[in-house]
Amino acid sequence: METHSYFPVPPGVGMEENFLSLDDILLSHERLPSRTECTFPRLGFLEKSSDSRDIQEGTKMEMPLFLAKGLYERKRRVVSVELPKVYKEGWRTVFNADPTVVDLHKMGPYYYGLGSQLLHFDSPENPEIAQAVLQTFIGRFRRTMDSSQNAYNEDTSALVERLDYLERALFRAGQSGLNSFQNWERGRASTITASSLVLNYRKRKITDLQP
Amino acid sequence: MFCEKAIEIIRELHRMGDGQLPAFNEDGIRQVLEEMKALYEQNQSDVNEAKSEGKSELIPTIKFRHCCLLRNQRCIAAYLYDRLLRIRTLRWEYGSVLPTNIRFHMCAEELEWFNQYKKSLATFMRSLGGEEGLDITQDMKPPKSLYIEVRCLKDHGEFEIDDGTIILLKKNSQHFLPRWKCEQLIRQGVLEHIMS
Amino acid sequence: MSDTLSDDASGGDDGQEDVMTPAELIGKLEEAWLNEKFSPELLENKSEMGECVMEQLTHMEANLQRVRRGDVKASVHRMEIDRIRFVLSSYLRSRLQKIEKFFPHVLEKEKSRVEGDPSFLSPEEFAFAKEYLANTETYLKAVALKHMPPNLQTVDMLKAVPEPCLDSFVFLRVRERQENILVEPETDDQREYVVDLDVDSQHLMRYRAIAPLVSSGAVQLI
Repeated sequence: METHSYFPVPPGVGMEENFLSLDDILLSHERLPSRTECTFPRLGFLEKSSDSRDIQEGTKMEMPLFLAKGLYERKRRVVSVELPKVYKEGWRTVFNADPTVVDLHKMGPYYYGLGSQLLHFDSPENPEIAQAVLQTFIGRFRRTMDSSQNAYNEDTSALVERLDYLERALFRAGQSGLNSFQNWERGRASTITASSLVLNYRKRKITDLQP
Repeated sequence: MFCEKAIEIIRELHRMGDGQLPAFNEDGIRQVLEEMKALYEQNQSDVNEAKSEGKSELIPTIKFRHCCLLRNQRCIAAYLYDRLLRIRTLRWEYGSVLPTNIRFHMCAEELEWFNQYKKSLATFMRSLGGEEGLDITQDMKPPKSLYIEVRCLKDHGEFEIDDGTIILLKKNSQHFLPRWKCEQLIRQGVLEHIMS
Repeated sequence: MSDTLSDDASGGDDGQEDVMTPAELIGKLEEAWLNEKFSPELLENKSEMGECVMEQLTHMEANLQRVRRGDVKASVHRMEIDRIRFVLSSYLRSRLQKIEKFFPHVLEKEKSRVEGDPSFLSPEEFAFAKEYLANTETYLKAVALKHMPPNLQTVDMLKAVPEPCLDSFVFLRVRERQENILVEPETDDQREYVVDLDVDSQHLMRYRAIAPLVSSGAVQLI
């Protein structure tokens, strides 16, 4: 269906980030377990647990991805990044056994995005992480696709509950395709409708009025 | 941690996933800009100290702050750009005159951007040939019939159709009108297209 | 419909022999429309074709005025005009949407165009894209960038705004037989291979692999 509605800047593909994508900005705010490999003078106040003036070398911190990425250098280590537990071997085995049973929303919700971003830090386990992320996606994709193509006119919240953000976007795309097809089949594709934006604004106005 | 305010304004916008325009968060932007100013000044002074006194141990801290500066800049740019994408959509959905409650959510510069966008689009459409150009914000769906049955959802007043006839669009009245005359009114929610 | 479409139809003003009939012109419009709708990047502009269609529409409108009101023929003609106008508007909308989405890249491509090569943008689209860039840069500067530290007052739009994703998959129908089209491997354990595309066969492929065939008209996106 042709619409001129709002299309946000899409997230980057694979290891790329799109500078203006809100999704990517939220992804790069995810925190990674890290350790400082040198002293950061005068930034001690960021560490609530200590009252030192500096962040000491060897401090363990939960560091947002953007910062870990910005500070990370191969030659001169100032921080090292540890793998979050879902990407470690233990969990990789679980995912490998049956990826469909895992609640990726709880474990993620950016399981694929963050997994791809981790490849920026050269961990010796990178090939295994990449494999695990890819295989998990393949293992779950069929189910995501099936459910998005078969749930028509019903509450889908239970179906998307356990999906990662990427899977949710795919689910939505499938649903919108299904709905357009059903509309077309019933000869309603040419019905002119009020723009969804207009409808939503009106809804909001009504709820604003309610006490 | 730094950049908390910046992520807050991003989250606020992201939450409205359907493209609605929340009120411009002037205060949020101001706070991020203030944090940037502070980070920059601290870095300036540390850079000078590192240079004049040879304190190279300050470098990681300077880099740390610089990452946060870039992050804040990115968040603000993305916030503003995403809003523009939403504002641009309004031109296509509402036409060139925006309802007051939406204008209310825009800052002065956004209104200015919207006006410029409107002008560029109008110039473009006028240039498409014919006497008046071609209004490409119309004809959003393929035509199936010339006339369609519509119901009026609110009082809209008089409305002139092609042959000069004037009809009164009164709430709950039904009409049989040329499709291409009422497309925009349907999108604005004044009329409803009834399928037989 | 043929009588409103007929009489005069100019197939462009290049003075060559390829005079198009109105039906051919509408056929061309539909091809261009589908290609533009489904390709991830902006295709070459066909502004001459657009102008011809506009002329045709004006001409048909004028013919319609001469038909008696209430004549059945009139409504059939009206319908045909509406349909053509829809396709043309939709085509121009798709282009404008991509221009807005990729404006820094579209303008960069235009800047690096060799003198004499055909432009991807019509003069009107070029003007629109330039205004869009200037308007957006002015806006970002005025609201926030000018209040930032001196080293952070610019954002390179060319780096900030994503490029079209040429790796998207597209459906296509083959119009002219092609041999040895290279298909890149999808995973590490695949190898690249070549395929032949037979006339009228349909495929789902990465846009990148067949982009030149879209612009030459050898395949049609569907």
